[in-house]
Amino acid sequence: MSYFGYVAGAYAVFAAVLAWDFLSPRLQVRRELRAARLRAARETRRSAAPAELER
Amino acid sequence: MNPLVRWFHQLGSPPYFDRFAARWTPWCYLAAVALMGAGLWQALFVVPADYQQGDSFRILYIHVPSAWMSMFVFGLMAFYAAIALVWRIKLCEILAMACAPIGAAFTVITLATGSIWGKPMWGTWWDWDPRLTTELILLFMYLGVMGLYGAIDDRRNAARAAGLLSIVGVALLPVIRYSVVWWNSLHQGQTIRVFGQSSMDDSMMLPLVLMVAATKFWFAGSLLARARADNLRREAGKDWVLRLAAPAERAP
Repeated sequence: MSYFGYVAGAYAVFAAVLAWDFLSPRLQVRRELRAARLRAARETRRSAAPAELER
Repeated sequence: MNPLVRWFHQLGSPPYFDRFAARWTPWCYLAAVALMGAGLWQALFVVPADYQQGDSFRILYIHVPSAWMSMFVFGLMAFYAAIALVWRIKLCEILAMACAPIGAAFTVITLATGSIWGKPMWGTWWDWDPRLTTELILLFMYLGVMGLYGAIDDRRNAARAAGLLSIVGVALLPVIRYSVVWWNSLHQGQTIRVFGQSSMDDSMMLPLVLMVAATKFWFAGSLLARARADNLRREAGKDWVLRLAAPAERAP
């Protein structure tokens, strides 16, 4: 009996779960840094706004 | 001050931890991939087929290290959670909560590969066997910890509540470990012993040792990466995070 399908399936599950485990925190870090960048940009705009209103 | 103690205190600083995690994560992954490459090569192409199970036994080299990790990670999570509860160390809260998805991933691998291995050997994908059932409960415990941590807005309160659940859940670990001894089980008994004679042939041991080491390094890399992400989320709005997010714009 050939067990190739079972072995290949098990190793594919292993690879897929580890790939998710590898990518998931990277995407989270990227998202947090992007959120920080956007927050900084918002604060910069907010601090610049009163000067524009005075004009 | 003792350099080791000083380093430990420094590690509690969020910016210092971020630099530490960013620096060491790739090295942990690199070690894991190298060991895993060697281990998988040995497991799939070098080790002879088992005299009873044929090539299906090669699933052991991912199933067993993942099963060990699923329990090890839960124990470590509870350890960090206990430190966080007693001494209120924020980094330990972060590390405890970062353990949960990694442990859940290893538990999913254990259950899925065990099920795939069980089909040709036992003739069924699943059986409500004590070992399988307790491992499934372990997955639910991980999901419970993750769910509780995500359900409470305040990060510190969430970590404390989820940490407490993980400490209570530690009681499950000896039940999983000894389930094949305490009850009649379809799952095979202990064949690999850290101390004492294993009933597995020596020629089959090297890839297992490599894969066990590889999963440890993988866990270390993943733990640092996830803890770094949570640390950034908790520290959002702080100057050091803003500097990190926009280094080119703020550089002199």
